[in-house]
Amino acid sequence: MRRRRQSGPIESNDDGTYTLNLGEYEKEVLTSFTDQLKQLITGDADDPRVRRLFPVAYAQDEEANNEYQRFMREELVASRVAAIDQVTGFLSGHDPITAAELSGLMMTINGLRLVMGTLLDVTDDGAEPEFDDEDDPLAAQWQLYGWLGWFLEWIVDAQASD
Amino acid sequence: MIFVNIVSPRPAPRTVASVMPDEDLRLDEDTAQDHPWIVLVWNDPINLMSYVTLVLQKLFGYSKEKATALMLDVHEKGRAVVSSGTREKAEIDVFHLHEHGLWATMQKDGPDS
Repeated sequence: MRRRRQSGPIESNDDGTYTLNLGEYEKEVLTSFTDQLKQLITGDADDPRVRRLFPVAYAQDEEANNEYQRFMREELVASRVAAIDQVTGFLSGHDPITAAELSGLMMTINGLRLVMGTLLDVTDDGAEPEFDDEDDPLAAQWQLYGWLGWFLEWIVDAQASD
Repeated sequence: MIFVNIVSPRPAPRTVASVMPDEDLRLDEDTAQDHPWIVLVWNDPINLMSYVTLVLQKLFGYSKEKATALMLDVHEKGRAVVSSGTREKAEIDVFHLHEHGLWATMQKDGPDS
């Protein structure tokens, strides 16, 4: 487990806020990805790329599940969009961020990771390829997936031992 | 955008219901009387173990020990019952778990579950 608070991308402060140690380029890239995520989740409801963000609720009752999706999907989209808007707001604006903002960042990073994992067809725990395999046409996507996981671990860790 | 410059996604996998066994999901009888609905979290290859543990702590107020034990159940046994209650409460719990990207389902507790 990582315990070095000072050198990671997230630093927890004594007043309960969190400082983002991201470069301008990383912030720009992250903003671009979160914008794309917003487009995906507000787009076609049947888009397989986002299926993992809207799971089945009633596994044994299709009718009940349809009803759940009818009422809750919109709520789920609204919640994710609100978190994304908040994230893009503070990425171009203020730092440090509040605990609530960090929570929204965590959900958004995890959402991106779920979409990337779905596209890369990640199936087995721990069975990820080497990120530096330049012959792999999906090397860039694997690198992004790896980066998102690294960032998410830091975000979790910043909150976990409080 | 990076999400479209990629191989086309595969068709959706089989549903949870079609691949999962039914045994061992019942709570004890007294609990089942009061809390007829159970909420399950299923193993998935993407969510980080540390993330799942933290989400269970945050959403349900579980201790780190309890949340870790549930996460390990999910990881090793394929699923775990993370909460129970009325149908309304179970739906809210499932919604919050979905909000956090966890693969959660709910079902009536009992002989068929």
